[in-house]
Parts: sequence; structure tokens; C-alpha cells
Amino acid sequence: MPRLVIDDREIEVPEGTKVIDAAGRLGIMIPRFCYHEALGAVGACRMCAVKFLQGPFKGVQMSCMVDAKDGMVVSTTDAEAVAFRKWVIEWLMKNHPHDCPVCDEGGHCLLQDETVSSDHSRRRFLGSKRTYRDQYLGPYVQHEMNRCIHCYRCSRFYREYAGYRDLGAMQIADKVYFGRFRDGRLESPFSGNLVDLCPTGVYTDKTSRFKVRRWDLERAPSVCIGCSLGCNTVAGAQFRAVLRIEARTNPDVNGHFICDAGRFGYSYTNGGAGFRQRPREPMAAGAGIGREGALERAFGALEEVARKYGPESVAALGSDRNSVETQCALKKMCAAKGYLPPVFFLDPAARRKTCEAVARLDERIAFSRSELESADFVIIAGADPLNEAAMSALALRQAFRKGGRIVVIDPRPVSMPFDFEHIPVVPEAIPRIFGMIVANSIPGEGGGLDANAGKFLRKLDRRSEDATLQSRIEDLAAGLAAAKRPAIVCGTGIVDETTPAFAADCALLLYRAGKRAGVFYVLPGANSYSSAVLSENDGRTFADILEAMEGGSVRALVVVENDLFRNFPDTRRLEEALARLELLIVIDYLPTGLENRASVFFPSSTAFETGSTFINQEGRAQFAHPVHAGGVPILGGSPEHVFRPDVPGGGQKPAWSILHGLETGLSGSGGISAEEIIASHPAFGAIAPLRYPVDGVRVIPVQSKEEFTSQSVSGGEPAPPRGLRLLLVDWMFGTGEISAYSDTLLESIPEPVLTMHSADAERAGLLDGQEVALRLEGGTVEVRLRVTEKMAEGVILLPRHQNLRWQKIRGFPALIDPERIAAL
Amino acid sequence: MNENESRLGRIMDGIGGIVDSYAVTLKHLFRKPITEQYPEQKKVLPERTRARIVLTRDPEGEERCVSCYLCEAVCPTDCISMEGAERGDGRRYALWFRINFARCIFCGLCEEACPTLAIQLTPDFEFSKYHVLDLVYEKEDLLIEGCGKNSEYNYYEHAGVAVGFDKGEHPGEAKPVDVKSNMP
Repeated sequence: MPRLVIDDREIEVPEGTKVIDAAGRLGIMIPRFCYHEALGAVGACRMCAVKFLQGPFKGVQMSCMVDAKDGMVVSTTDAEAVAFRKWVIEWLMKNHPHDCPVCDEGGHCLLQDETVSSDHSRRRFLGSKRTYRDQYLGPYVQHEMNRCIHCYRCSRFYREYAGYRDLGAMQIADKVYFGRFRDGRLESPFSGNLVDLCPTGVYTDKTSRFKVRRWDLERAPSVCIGCSLGCNTVAGAQFRAVLRIEARTNPDVNGHFICDAGRFGYSYTNGGAGFRQRPREPMAAGAGIGREGALERAFGALEEVARKYGPESVAALGSDRNSVETQCALKKMCAAKGYLPPVFFLDPAARRKTCEAVARLDERIAFSRSELESADFVIIAGADPLNEAAMSALALRQAFRKGGRIVVIDPRPVSMPFDFEHIPVVPEAIPRIFGMIVANSIPGEGGGLDANAGKFLRKLDRRSEDATLQSRIEDLAAGLAAAKRPAIVCGTGIVDETTPAFAADCALLLYRAGKRAGVFYVLPGANSYSSAVLSENDGRTFADILEAMEGGSVRALVVVENDLFRNFPDTRRLEEALARLELLIVIDYLPTGLENRASVFFPSSTAFETGSTFINQEGRAQFAHPVHAGGVPILGGSPEHVFRPDVPGGGQKPAWSILHGLETGLSGSGGISAEEIIASHPAFGAIAPLRYPVDGVRVIPVQSKEEFTSQSVSGGEPAPPRGLRLLLVDWMFGTGEISAYSDTLLESIPEPVLTMHSADAERAGLLDGQEVALRLEGGTVEVRLRVTEKMAEGVILLPRHQNLRWQKIRGFPALIDPERIAAL
Repeated sequence: MNENESRLGRIMDGIGGIVDSYAVTLKHLFRKPITEQYPEQKKVLPERTRARIVLTRDPEGEERCVSCYLCEAVCPTDCISMEGAERGDGRRYALWFRINFARCIFCGLCEEACPTLAIQLTPDFEFSKYHVLDLVYEKEDLLIEGCGKNSEYNYYEHAGVAVGFDKGEHPGEAKPVDVKSNMP
């Protein structure tokens, strides 16, 4: 542990710490352009020069290139170092254009800050300025290459860190150019990070182009609710609109970066295109009534139904995008009024998988995303990281860069920006194969393991009938045996119901075998953890409620932030059941179509408008702070000249506050207290004072109650299914519940395709690129066919695409006779 | 000095005061008046007088304002607001631009901050209204046809972005780098 002195202050830092970081720990911010914690040091910009007064060597050196050593005495304010940095700014500004007024980086530009602080205001250089032509880089990132100072942050992130190859450095010496070979969309779904990384304005956010300056934004720490990872963001709003999302550093969750879907998919909160889509005022039967009127009518109608048919005739449905506060308020309302307890899942399989996963997470084996980055062997079982939780693919890329080996056992044609081994098998076979890898990695019968672990190990299959597969498994098992920090990434989408628990048991087995092993689940939605915790002892789902609605025992339904028509797989049945209801109360911020059917509709506020807690897939409770007050944005034309006391379109309230109103009949700002949240479930004890650190706090137990209880998966190869199994899959763009209402993402959404293995396609006589008609129970879906060899035989993949009526599937899971797919 | 003398002196002083002031009045009866008959007669104020704010155009007749938000940031009374937008050719402009003259104190900081010489204060100080909302001026009220105090400056000529002038065409710029050539 070297001890050194920086600016007369002593500090001890771990071996290998750069001087620039050591200074950072003292709160001394040495100016830098090229150095970045996640990207490392290259010494390209020369801006972090400091003077070494004593130590192994003396003189002006780049603090990002020098490891801290014992006895160093460093001055950041030495006249020689200050003069050096001043010259650096002057030469960097030699070619910099005179365009700060029209540059979106102006106001939060590192180069601008350093230019002002070094007092450089007159260009003394008489030569001409170098210029470059700019490129079209797609709908998100604006390119203005004249501003470049050649720090290489963009190409280092894009190529090395993220692993995409279509943007990089070209040319030599004074002519170095960062861009693509030719104009075109950036291929990386992490391209938005270039905007954050660029120390000047070469890459700027195109979705908020020219709309706002950083100093005008109301900014607050927020949490992305696009997927279950809960990446940390900073949201910025002006003129009642959220205009910019930036990545917020959280080493445990998202590191320094976020994906494009999270960064640019914010416009649902502004009301989408033209700001007109979002329902903003309380309505009854599609017509506006005031907030008081709506509450009076809804409360009265609920009382009426409960009086006529008993309180059990009122059911409630939440969702994964409810905040913890909303879910607890819903539970509390139902308990207080004697209604049926709320359900948060639509189908029983999804509930069981999520609950199994959540029940198994504990401090021993739950891996955070940063632990995934340092895993040296990763088994991905039934997950498509890039499509289901994009930032986890970036973590896996870091594991790969550090020499980790990654194997994907999944029927889908998984693609990620690094090399990995893919074993495409049908979902039933996934646990058996990774069980075999785990079993073969532990020598003998597992001597040294405790009884439970040994018993679990002996139950696992070790040999496959398929010789090629067997040799592959043995090779992988040898790799796993040598690994010290193996990880199992397990999805909850397409896998069988027993797989999540089995994955946890395998991770626990490896843990017992002396490895720092862990499991990393990918859950269905932003707050699935909380949904699962609150429904752990209640096996009912919306499927049961629907039956009760059809049977007439449920007469009133409260739907809180659930896009039922998108999520439920049988639209016709849903419509008929809704029509039988006497009372439908809908609380939402998205225009789901339910608001027009609702007897009473209440607009709720988004995470940007309410302080709300979300628990991510590793059980980390994070608080999204309110960013702004909401209302109809005043963008796109000058605001009216009127005085008014209220905010136009500001009829929304937090869902938990509306539920409190439905419970008590009282309007006002009452809601749910921290004590009530804690009382909802013991797991929420850690959420207690709502003052936990901004990095979030894990609410998982030290040790899970269940171990080695998952169902055995031995018993030979599963029988090949007759027909093709239809799997509904998620894509990064085009299948999300929230992103469907964000017009900023429209350009990213690819055309829906039905994906099929080439052998299956050949048997059915279908060709790649053909338009096919897929005859489902509820009608025909016309979709383009994509044929690939990189997937499992016996399954076909249909995305839950927003432009596809996949809801005609009528129930999960679906086996499709190949005859039902015909070319058009 | 005795008491009588002092009394005499005071009387003389009094008479002197009356006579002097009558003399001044008498003198002014025969002089040209200096009172300005405002508002019937209007004085030409110096060019740099700080009053009603305008948005000017560049010599090509384009709006000078690029909606950089600097005037809005520097304004001590927060009376300026705007929204920036991009024109078809990439030019940055203010979609709307509003000055609330009911709040403006005519300090001139916006004019100092303006990097494009767009916002300028003029000597026109007479614009009182019966209703306070009538003092909220929109872009169409603020924008004038001329260049204002500087008839030459065109910001985009020097900006270095490819708007109006192509890359390499601005004064003091080299031709754009050809990234596909190996020639030094």
C-alpha cells in the first residue's frame, strides 16, 4: 500500500492506483480528457500533467500514466505543471471551432471548462484550422468532428469496451478521424454512451438537439425501468418535459454506462409524439371529470359493488412497473377493504419462475452486475442478455475481456459483442445440460461436500447420449473446474418453471465446492422482485381472476399500471371478460386503451414525477427521485399568455396516493408511510427509513430458506416434442411495455420476424425472407420468416412485437403444427 | 462686531437675496427656454441607450439568434425564455423567444452575453401598456429587419459548422481532411 503526498496531503492507496485516482480520493480533481475510470489510461491528451517533487522520478509527468509509489510528493498546483496544462489547452484549441453557441455540449463541456479555467481567450496561432466532414450516425447521436481533441475515448469505448467495430479511428498524425467507414446508423445499442463520454461536443444527443442547456435542466437521480436491471440514471427536465437521460455511476449496478433503450426511451412520460398520447385527466366512461368527481364516483361504485356482491367480488391487478410503494398501497387497500388480495402476474408460469428466482437470491450467491464483470466462467441458461437486459451483455463483454469463458445454453440465435460458445437446445433441455457441465466439473462423487450438496450432485446427469455434446460438455466442465468465480446467468422468460431454482442450486453447489460462484437472474420487469415477494404465498394470477370474472364472482376490477391488452395473450377473451364487469377502475400513465373502457380512470404519475422505489433483479432497492412536477410540455410553440393557478395537464397523482383515496374516500396527499411498507413484507425492512444511499441497498436475506430443493432433472434426454414449440421472446427494441409509447425509439424498432431453424424450415418448405401466415388459435398472423442455423430445432420464435398481433396465441405455451405455417 | 451691525447686515443680505433672484428671473425672461416639450418634442437619444430589446438579422437577412440560451442564463430577472430548434439546413434558431418586459430592468447583460450580436438594446424606452401581459413580447414582436448596431457580423461565417458555409470555407480554415487518402 503505497503512501504518497499530493498537494501537501498524505494518502495511502492500493498498489496499482494511478496518481490521478489517488488525487481523486483526496477530492482533488486533476483535469483530464482521455482518462476514464472504466476505459483506463492512454496518456493521449496530456491534460493531467502534475509535477513530481520527490519520489522515484521527478518533473512534470502525466498523472494518469504513473502508478502511485511510496515516497512520492506530487504537486498539482506547481507553476511548471500549471503552465504545461495551459499550453495543452492552447494547442487543443488551435483547431477547435468557434461554435460553442450552437454546440449542445456547451454548458457541460470539459474542454470549455478547462479553456475558461486556464484563461485562454485569444487564438495566437496564425495557421489555418483543420476541418473534417461529419457523418450521419443514426437517430440518436449527432456527429460534429471539427470539435474533436483526439482523446480516443469514443473508439476505446466503442471497440474495446463495448465490442462493436463500426466506429473507430482513421488516418494518421494531425488528421486522425473518428467515425464510421461510411455514413450510417451506429450498430451498437450502447452508442448513447458516446454522448456522455466525449469530453467535448463531437457526439451529442440528437433526441434533445438544441432543445436545452444543461444549466436549465431540473436534474435528479433516477432509475431506469426499461428492464429488470434498474440502471442508474440522471434525468433532466425542462418546460415540463423530460429531455435528457444520462448514465449515473453505480459500480454495483450499471457501472458508468446505460443502453440506448434506457437513454432514449423516455418520451412516454412526455406523452409521445406531439405530447398528446398520455392520458392526463381523470375520466369516467371516456369523458373528463375532475379529480374530486372521479374519486367520489370510484369510491362510491366500489362501495356499491362490495355491498351488493360482497367485498370478495372486487379484484385488483398490479404489474412489474408499479413502484414498491404502489404495490404496498394496493395490498394495503385490498386488505383493509376485504377485497381479493392483488395479483401482479398474468400467467402462473411467469409467477412461479419469478418467485422461485427471488426466493433463492441470498447474500451468498446473488451476483451483482459488477461481480458478473469479474466472473471467469459464465453459463447463460435460457437468457438472451442483449435483448432481455442489455447492460448485462456489456458486463459479460468485460468478463470476456478479462479472459472469462462464456457459454450460452439457449434455443434462440443469441448474439452478443464477443465470442462465446452456443449450445442451442429446446428450453426443456437447458437445465439438464448445464447441470451436466456443473456435475462434470466436480470430480468424483463430491467428497468434502455436505450431505445436501452431495445428494444434489449425485442426482445430476453426467453423461449425454450424444457423443459430440458429451465431449463439448466435458471440455466446458474442465473450464468450469479451473474457474474461481463462475457465474450462472438464468433467464425467467422462455425457460421451464423449474429452471430458475435449479440454476440457484447449481450455483450453490459450486459455492460449496469452494468457488466464489453466483447466480444472476434476468427477471421479466423493473419491479418483478417486489411483485414476487408480495405474491410469494398467493398462487393466484390474473388467469384466476379472469375465470372469476367470466364466472361472475368478480364484479369489479382495479387495474394499476398494467397494459393488459398488450400483455395478455388472448385479446378476445379479455374483452369479453372486461365487458362482464360492473366496474373497471384503471390507474395508469400510459395510453393502454383501457382508459376508454374504464368506468373511472385516474392518471398516475411516472417515476420521473414521483419519488418511488424499484427493486432490481439482484434484490437491490433503489429510489428514483422526482425530477419535475409534470404536466403538458410547453415545447414546440410559445406558451400562452395566461395566468392560471394550476398546471395544464397536471391531473396526475402517484398511484399509491390514488389507491389511498380509493381506500378512504378522501382526496388529499395521503399515501403510504415507510412503516406500512415495512409491514407489507419482512424483506422490505431494509427499505425502512427511505434514506438509504443513492446507490441503493440490497434487501435479500443472508441465507435463503431453500437449498437443493429444486426438482431433479435427470432421466435422460427429453422426448422430442411433436410439432414446433412457439416461444414468445423479447427484443431490445420493439417489445417493451413502456418503450412502445416512446416515439424517440421508433426508428430503432426492427420489423417483426418469425425465426425458425433451417432444418425445420426445409421440412416445412419455407424460405428465408418469405412472408408467412401463422395460423394461431385466435386468428392468423402474417409475418416475415427468418431462417437461421444458429438456434435450436423444434422451436419457433415470435417477438412480443408492438406491430404484431401476437395476442392471437391464446394461452401459453403453444405447440404449433408445422402445417399451420404457410407461405403467403 | 456688535448687535446693531449684525442686524443691518442681515437686512442687507435679505434685500440682496430678493433682488438677485428677481434679476435671474428677469434675465431668463429674455433667454431661449431649455425645457423639452416631451412627448410633443422627442429627443434623439445616444445609440447605446439601454431600452427596448430587439433581435436583429445578419447582413444576409437571416435571424442572428442561434438560441444558445446565454442571454437567458445571464438575465438577472429571468425575463428571457426560448426554445431552440433545428432548421432543415441544420441552422440553429429560436423556435420561440420571449422577453417579459414587465420584469426586464434593461441592464444590458443579455446584449453583452450574446455571441452573435443578435440581441440588442435600443433607445426606444416608451412602451407602457395597460395590461401587464401585453408587456410579454414574442419573437415576432422582437425581431427587426435590420442588423442593428453592427452591419457586418455574421456569426455563421466564423462558426465552423456547415451551415451557410461549408466545412473549410470559413475564414482561416483548411480544406476538410480526406480520410480516405494517404497523402500527408
